[in-house]
Amino acid sequence: MATDGKVITCKAAVAWEPGKPLCIEEVEVAPPKAHEVRIKVVATGVCHTDWEYLFETGKGMKFRPFPLVLGHEAAGIVESIGPEVTRVSPGDKVIPLFLPYCGECERCLSPKTNHCKKNWTNMQAGVLADGTSRISCKGQQVYQFLGVSSFSQYTVVPDTSVAKIRSDAPLDKVCLLGCGVSTGYGAAINAGKVEKDSSCAVFGLGAVGLAAVMGCKVAIARRIIGVDINPDKFEKARQFGATDCINPRDYSKPIQEVVVEMTGGGVDYALECVGSPAIMNAALESTRDAWGTCVIAGWTETETMSISVEKLLMGRTLKGTYFGGWKSVKDVPKLVDDYMNHKLKLDEFITEKLPLVQINKAFDLLKSGKSIRTVISLQDS
Amino acid sequence: MSTAGKVIKCKAAVAWEPNKPVVIEEIEVAPPQANEVRIKIVATGVCHTDLYHLFEGMHKDGFPAVLGHEGAGIVESVGPGVTEFQPGDKVIPLFLSQCKECHLCKNPRTNQCEVAWTRINQAIMAGVESRFTCKGKRVLQFMGTSTFSEYTVINQTAVAKIDPAAPLDKVCLLGCGICTGYGAAVNTAKVEPGSTCAVFGLGAVGLAAVMGCKAAGAKRIIAVDVNPDKFENAKVFGATDFVNPKDHDKPIHEVLTKMTSGGVDYSLECVGNVQVMRSALESSAQGWGVSVIVGWTDLHDIVIRPVHLISGRTWKGSMFGGFKSKDGVSKMVKDYLDKKLKVDEFISHNMTLDQANDAIELMKNCKCIRAVMSVSPP
Repeated sequence: MATDGKVITCKAAVAWEPGKPLCIEEVEVAPPKAHEVRIKVVATGVCHTDWEYLFETGKGMKFRPFPLVLGHEAAGIVESIGPEVTRVSPGDKVIPLFLPYCGECERCLSPKTNHCKKNWTNMQAGVLADGTSRISCKGQQVYQFLGVSSFSQYTVVPDTSVAKIRSDAPLDKVCLLGCGVSTGYGAAINAGKVEKDSSCAVFGLGAVGLAAVMGCKVAIARRIIGVDINPDKFEKARQFGATDCINPRDYSKPIQEVVVEMTGGGVDYALECVGSPAIMNAALESTRDAWGTCVIAGWTETETMSISVEKLLMGRTLKGTYFGGWKSVKDVPKLVDDYMNHKLKLDEFITEKLPLVQINKAFDLLKSGKSIRTVISLQDS
Repeated sequence: MSTAGKVIKCKAAVAWEPNKPVVIEEIEVAPPQANEVRIKIVATGVCHTDLYHLFEGMHKDGFPAVLGHEGAGIVESVGPGVTEFQPGDKVIPLFLSQCKECHLCKNPRTNQCEVAWTRINQAIMAGVESRFTCKGKRVLQFMGTSTFSEYTVINQTAVAKIDPAAPLDKVCLLGCGICTGYGAAVNTAKVEPGSTCAVFGLGAVGLAAVMGCKAAGAKRIIAVDVNPDKFENAKVFGATDFVNPKDHDKPIHEVLTKMTSGGVDYSLECVGNVQVMRSALESSAQGWGVSVIVGWTDLHDIVIRPVHLISGRTWKGSMFGGFKSKDGVSKMVKDYLDKKLKVDEFISHNMTLDQANDAIELMKNCKCIRAVMSVSPP
């Protein structure tokens, strides 16, 4: 491509400091170094975690260095590749990944986990393998959130952090597989291993929760109870397969007691899709003893949760999942196939489409509870 | 037998109130009612959970009671409707029932049972009904078993028939501690061959967990305790490494994570202390670590960071090692007789029921593994 080997000047939404709205800036994106891939980002979702790292740093999240380009749920096209990259070629459709998959380490080779740690510390710190970011603005280095930074028309990621997907996949839909939908869906299928005819409760009916509902339905759960304090979310949850929807604010007793009562003892599987320690405890206590399993899909980095030990002694299992347990590079293309084969919904998650220049509106919609997923198109702002 | 159908007056160690020594009394043991079995207890172990009830002082309504839940004996008589047992059978009382009929018993995923006393009134740590009286007062049967008594009466769903060749003064320990620890490794954690394990707490339950990890083929078993006197025992059962948290400035989970380059595959908490439970969880490997809570507490909450679970650890707990009680105990007795399982090595003291308070003191001061008290002649 004409831009190969050159710095690209393009638009990005830059977070200059915590707590302030994003600014649309002109940024420079350096060419990819060895084992790096430069991607033209076509579409990105806006995830609650992006919002948290901008507005809630210090409250349950570790501080990330600023200035920062957020965004980690995207899809695009490879513009150019650095030396020694063999997994993708210019023109390939790809999904960049905040969770790597090198394919060689003990974790990648183990069926038990998806926690590859290739370049992990650097990506968490917002830089690539050599300790620097490829994005700069007004002469300053701009950090890459989780090493991805999809709120930019171009970005550069390590080659172990990018999944090649089929060329007929619509990027403005499959971008959602970069985080939220994969996380919730996998929480049910991989971590929970929800069984046919079982009962489930999903706490939190945002994108992750709806994806968990979808996963429970695909697993042919008999009963799927959606729990949220915002009743506007119930209709969509029912469309995804929830059989009951309950609002904790409608009850004077704790919601776990409500779930236990309505199921005659508790659910077989509970999935926490909010990221709140108090709700994690409620989710655990809403499971039945003897074999109840509670999966934490919601993210909290530094907070603690308190549970009654007796709940575990009586046979419950508590686990967590990151990116739904999917081995990222390997499994995301299969999820794209599932979407293309109508086994998995994506379109129904999208409640709004906005150009990059209106990205702050996406955050407003998220916080007001009025959106599930806003998809930002990067290339026509 | 000549006592069949009659009230038996016999000796028992009665705990009249919390935090006081138990008293050797004469008690009256009523005959078994429908579906019940009256058992002459020959031997009993003293388990830390007996002390938990006596000294933690939180189950105030659970007194007076006869403690003991790790015993073995011989059936004296059976109540109407009992066909599984007859007088003379060697049995082990079970604090966890297995009725074999409820949907829990029919499900292979759990060892819970619908008729367990824990599902009726856990706060008193006893069965709701009692066949014991003493000095005109009703005395509770602790955990439905009460093995600190020459005779006890138990529902047949909570009694395991065992091989007549089994020596009761040894296999009594299969009534709790050994099955709890061994099963936690084999059934609940499902330790895999070649794996690395850490066992926190080297009392009887911990040693049994070490034994279970070894039986499951673990390559490395790290025994953790603040009392270094316990390490030699742990070695007998198969531990390969020994760590005393007091020898290190760093928190124990950091020590273990470093010595295993990332954390253990399986950790088992065999103490019942919430701080240790947290350390055990954090000592397990990111990505696939499994941590099992074996030690009992129904009183405390534990604080952990969800990120430790989100980064790939699984946290579970179990009672009685996940064994369906009747089936599990009779199999464990058989394994002992076939020399596949150690039991004798747990016995550090042989005493009599009259010495119950001494046995309790030994346990309280961590000066024994298991004291077996002989209760009645066999």
